[in-house]
Amino acid sequence: METNAVAARNLFISTATHASNDESWPLPVATAAGKETVMASQSTGSSFSRRGFLGIAGGVATAVALTACSGGSGGGSTQAIKFWNMPWGGTEFNPLDKKITLAYKPKTGSGAATYQAIQWANFTQTFSSAVASNTGPAVSSGGGTQAFQFANQGKIAYADDLLDSWKKNGIYDDFFDGLVDTMKTDKGYAAVPYNLDVRISWYNKTLLQQAGVEPPTDWDSYRKVCAALKKIGVYGFGLGSGAGNFTGSHILTAFMINNGGGIFNTDKKPDCVTPENIGAMEYVLDLVKSGYSDPAAATYTSANVQSQWKAKKFGFGWDGAGLAAGAVGDVAGDLVVGSPLVSPSGKKGGLYFPNNIMMYKNTPSQQSSEAFLTYYFQNMKELWAKKTGIGLPPLKSIADTAEFKVDPNNVKIITEWQPIFKTWAAPGGTGLFYNIANTVDGTAPMMTFAQSILGGKTDAKSALTALQSAMEGLMK
Amino acid sequence: MTTESVIGALKRARSGVGNGGSGRRLGGRERRRTFSHSRTFLFFVLPSLILLLLLNVYPVIYAGLQSLRNGDLLSAGNFVGLNNYIAMVQTPAFWHATGFTVVFTLVGVFGSWSIGLALALFLRTRIPANGLFKVLLLLPWVVPVVVSATSWNWLVATPQSPLPMLAQALGLGNVLFLADPVLAQVTVCVFKVWISFPFMLMMMSSALASVDVNVYEASKVDGASSMQAFGRITLPMISRSTYISWILMTIFCVNDFPSIFLLTGGGPVNSTQTLVVLAYSTVFQNFQTGPGVAIAFMMTIVLVIIATVLYRQIRKVNIE
Repeated sequence: METNAVAARNLFISTATHASNDESWPLPVATAAGKETVMASQSTGSSFSRRGFLGIAGGVATAVALTACSGGSGGGSTQAIKFWNMPWGGTEFNPLDKKITLAYKPKTGSGAATYQAIQWANFTQTFSSAVASNTGPAVSSGGGTQAFQFANQGKIAYADDLLDSWKKNGIYDDFFDGLVDTMKTDKGYAAVPYNLDVRISWYNKTLLQQAGVEPPTDWDSYRKVCAALKKIGVYGFGLGSGAGNFTGSHILTAFMINNGGGIFNTDKKPDCVTPENIGAMEYVLDLVKSGYSDPAAATYTSANVQSQWKAKKFGFGWDGAGLAAGAVGDVAGDLVVGSPLVSPSGKKGGLYFPNNIMMYKNTPSQQSSEAFLTYYFQNMKELWAKKTGIGLPPLKSIADTAEFKVDPNNVKIITEWQPIFKTWAAPGGTGLFYNIANTVDGTAPMMTFAQSILGGKTDAKSALTALQSAMEGLMK
Repeated sequence: MTTESVIGALKRARSGVGNGGSGRRLGGRERRRTFSHSRTFLFFVLPSLILLLLLNVYPVIYAGLQSLRNGDLLSAGNFVGLNNYIAMVQTPAFWHATGFTVVFTLVGVFGSWSIGLALALFLRTRIPANGLFKVLLLLPWVVPVVVSATSWNWLVATPQSPLPMLAQALGLGNVLFLADPVLAQVTVCVFKVWISFPFMLMMMSSALASVDVNVYEASKVDGASSMQAFGRITLPMISRSTYISWILMTIFCVNDFPSIFLLTGGGPVNSTQTLVVLAYSTVFQNFQTGPGVAIAFMMTIVLVIIATVLYRQIRKVNIE
């Protein structure tokens, strides 16, 4: 809270500074004030008469009105673009990101950019209060579904024109296939993809060798791998769903998608109790009840999960792309990204979260916002080249760089997983939408659902029915 | 002094003069002066009063209005009357959270009070390094709850954690302190008692210090046993502090968000969800501002009732 307060204060100071630096701002005020002061001294000899005061006030009011009229978001403005970004990687991410942002040299008629790092703690409140009070950024990243919430409130400037311009300069075609479509809503593109948070399988190659099994390729072989790992006292279905850890619910959804199912239908309404989903959850429950899952997994935080990998208690499991770079100690070198599994339906599939950058209507100039974003996307590759810890890149050109290809796990995610990933909207659609934020993305019903499945004391249909019912209650 | 003269003196005192005064009522000038004084005092108090209204009353009124609307974090939404309250009390999750809040509070208040009082009594005896003990015993209260919760998570979360290993060594099998719903409830309650007993220790130590030792000596002369002295002297003599500490600890327990949220997040399967955790997840995870604030308001009302009942008990003790 204190951090947010400091951030808000800094933002206020920064805004004030930019306002005073703006060429159009002080000039009329000074001119009007100067004139009236001279008049006052001529008529009364007083340096600050009532008439003089009224004159100054009138001048200020006129200047403010003129500034307000000229500062609309429709035309160009030299006022700075406020860019808020999240700590997407390690400690080195935001300083480098800030450097890239502040190096932006706008063309004539566009404003420069200011930078503000927003912490993940209470970020929803930070953005909500700032956007609601029109003191928020012109451009920002944020939660994966944030753009769709704000779009629903009429606060987002759609990126259709920006994407049209990117079709001409090559950025549009540089995005991975289908990625831009995940941002598409009925009214336009709510944001542009920025980095990919993915849910994939990992295994400890040494433990698999010790168990005498090859990495699995489908659900049946995965079950056999789990059984072999159990014989050496290692869990094959490693994941967590404890306080603040929503990975468990993501993985269960990924299994549904893998089996041709998912949460939402084509009408963007929850449709959880389907044969595909029931089949997937029965499979997961079988893994749990067979003792292939850690019995305490339902309450594992991310730190607990990492400690289990570190303690070599997890031989095969499910997590994000950054697992090997986390606190897994010596086993980091043994961790390998698994291949996507083929489900009994014959399909492959997984869940990913295209984190994005959005533009707001509250901007000094839409043209300036778009100009800045174009610059940013043309220059952000350093964030990956210097391994700041940010999620996977959205652009093929960045994934093709030698620095990125150094890590074979990253390459495997891009080549094998990226083409089969789907969003929360599956199986009904591709594009994210408003109700995802308040029904499935980090919500209480999803957490309860994951914990009930991982607890193993329910059946697939009951758990899915409870989820369906809870989600229906949250739909708006 | 006779009874009549005492009553007369009290009457005179009430009318603004001392015991030996005339008993004359305030004249017009004095009344004006008193009124002027009151006005001056009010003037001095006014800035604080305005601040208090702005910082406390305005948010409460705003939140109250929010609880009557179906908005979210961005928009106020439409007026829905008491629908949010009605909807919440009809959900099983609300009643489950209410039930666990009651259990958590009862265990938190009386568990920490029992241990705090026992330790306060123990520390009254002559033991070596008494001061050091007091400092060490205060640590659970002093250490930030984030640190405590993380430490406890390390102690109990995985089968390789120290306490499950100890349970295994004692032949208790694979004890899942956080993953088993009932054990998770026990764990968060024990955690609450652990972080709260130093507060009770301080409250009870100060209360016991105010009890005159002569009373105990007199009771000993009269042949009272230690238990009798504890039940008939100690407890009644510290009852005022006890009630105050109960009121405060009840408020602390009902409003305790970080202990539970950091340790279990309200799980597994909502088993450790209290009303404050439910309110949080309703507003900030499910984005239902109205129902979430409605829960918070219902909690406030219940807390005010409990505090009023206990406060009356304090007044009763004072009169007795």
